[in-house]
Amino acid sequence: MSDHLIQRVASATPPRLARRIRGVSDRTIAWLFVTPTILLLLAVNIFPLIWTIRLSMTNFRTNRPNNPVEFVGLENYRKILSNPDTWASLQATAHFLISTIVLQVVLGFTLAYLINKKFRGNDLWTTLIVLPMMLSPAVVGNFWTFLYQPQIGLFNYFIEFLSGIDPASFSMIGDVSLAPWTIVLVDTWMWTPFVMLICLAGLRSIPPSIYEAAECDRASKWRQFWTITLPMALPFLMLAVLFRGIENFKMFDLVVQLTGGGPGATTQLTSIDLKREAFEKWRTGFASAYAVILFVTVFGLASIYVKALNKVKDR
Amino acid sequence: MAEVRLQNVSKSFGRQTALEDVSLRVPNGSFVVLLGPTGAGKTTLLRIVSGLDTPNEGDVFIAGRSMAGLPPAERNVAMVFQQYSLYPHLTVRENMEFPLKSPLLRTPKAEIARKVGEVAEILQISHKLDNKATALSGGEMQRVSIGRALVRSPNVYLMDEPLSSLDAKLRADLRVELKNIQANLGATFLYVTHDQIEAMTMATHVGVLDHGRLVQFGTPREIYEQPVSIYAAGRLGQPHINILPADLFGPAPSGAAYIGMRPEQILQGEGQDSLVKRVEHLGDQTRLHLAFRNHDLTTVIDAHTPLRAGDIVKIQPLKPFYFDAAGARIV
Repeated sequence: MSDHLIQRVASATPPRLARRIRGVSDRTIAWLFVTPTILLLLAVNIFPLIWTIRLSMTNFRTNRPNNPVEFVGLENYRKILSNPDTWASLQATAHFLISTIVLQVVLGFTLAYLINKKFRGNDLWTTLIVLPMMLSPAVVGNFWTFLYQPQIGLFNYFIEFLSGIDPASFSMIGDVSLAPWTIVLVDTWMWTPFVMLICLAGLRSIPPSIYEAAECDRASKWRQFWTITLPMALPFLMLAVLFRGIENFKMFDLVVQLTGGGPGATTQLTSIDLKREAFEKWRTGFASAYAVILFVTVFGLASIYVKALNKVKDR
Repeated sequence: MAEVRLQNVSKSFGRQTALEDVSLRVPNGSFVVLLGPTGAGKTTLLRIVSGLDTPNEGDVFIAGRSMAGLPPAERNVAMVFQQYSLYPHLTVRENMEFPLKSPLLRTPKAEIARKVGEVAEILQISHKLDNKATALSGGEMQRVSIGRALVRSPNVYLMDEPLSSLDAKLRADLRVELKNIQANLGATFLYVTHDQIEAMTMATHVGVLDHGRLVQFGTPREIYEQPVSIYAAGRLGQPHINILPADLFGPAPSGAAYIGMRPEQILQGEGQDSLVKRVEHLGDQTRLHLAFRNHDLTTVIDAHTPLRAGDIVKIQPLKPFYFDAAGARIV
């Protein structure tokens, strides 16, 4: 069939063109195919990166294009790394990252484990559980501000219902010690289903006959979980951590909508901090240096992590 | 080691009947081979004995105890799966140690190591003990899977086509080894195969399954020499038994519709003429494909036969089997 097609194409090609095409080597054709992609990557990825590194060593400000641009060397980097505000926002980011990943992985895996059992209506449950992640982060942030509202919010009412604490006595968003947890809570509410889906894929990839063998080998359910389920689902779990980690390192929309980085700077994640430097204070050179530092951090962490992931997969 | 008994066991999956009223006694220390084509219910029978599936009706007794409602772990059975079912992230050694490390057993470390080493030696996988289970060939995985069963001393070994993906030489080796193990330990084996050589060489008893029903149970020689039906006769014998119209060679007993002749039931050099169509030299035997009154039949002949295609040879039935129209044996 395909031979036939090739024949037809060959005979339909004009002889002069055919001669010219025949003269082109496989290597040349391969280059012809990849060149557009390489050019595109250079234009939208590599060039901006190099440009950012260049800008990071200047005092350039985008809102004052006529000011003379001075080369300042590593001065921007020194300022950023010695600024306690930077470290505070890095700390807030770390708190957010670690708490959300731990919570989402534990909850997501547990949900996946439960939903993977055969019971009536588990398809319906799966659909219901994944609903939050289909919403827009801006919408989620917006309606959670209502839920967290001390006087009329359902969240505070619910806490009162459970513990009897006066709902007007605390404000999740307004309190310095509670605010970092509000964003963790909402992100977990929204993205646990995603982790669950990945874990579910992992659990479903384990052939049932392995559990049957373990049954015959008299392994308890507990031992089956630790020697079969967890090790075999681990690569999927780690993948979920990677996805959530990358996503949450650049978390912006949800938090801006929810707390706007406040109160004070308690929920000012690095991405929000960076956006203020770059597009509110217009310190372009300074912000570029900041971006480079974050890029190196994420890139470094991700490479280490991917190495570990591959090791686990090869086991 | 123990006796296994199935009593009126039936099992269906939806509308599909897998087993129908099967009663079977696997005596203590016997090697029972279940024969039958794909879909005959062999694997289902093993799974019901192991407790992985529960029968719709009937009961399984191991060592005289009813197994109704007991999970596999409480039946003390070792099973070799057709699809190997190794623990992929563990090494060969860890796979084989796995059943011994059950907290129920509390086997001492040295004992585990000795046992694993011994079984690995028999199965010729000693050099692979530290490989990952996923880094093995199909034949090696199958041997690890057998090894994982052999390290145990269960009530009964259940094996589902354990030698199917091995090469001919290894298969012959392991046939002997498995038979030795069974004889030395006095172990009870329930073994599924469709390789008749395995059935003939290893079995103390053969059970023939046909669409979920046990149609014959006996020693391999009984099944071979006294088959109850065309179906049972067809399970054993290479070349296959010849089934022809009953009156082809002359008068047949009343009610007979078919005559069945194994190669040794065809006497050569006497009787009526038949045409040699082809002579096949297989090395250990030579097969003769004959045409007799528009019917084809196959028999064996001396390896150094001068016969060639186109020759005429006289043949005559010698104590043949007769079957009725439904395939049941009458003589």
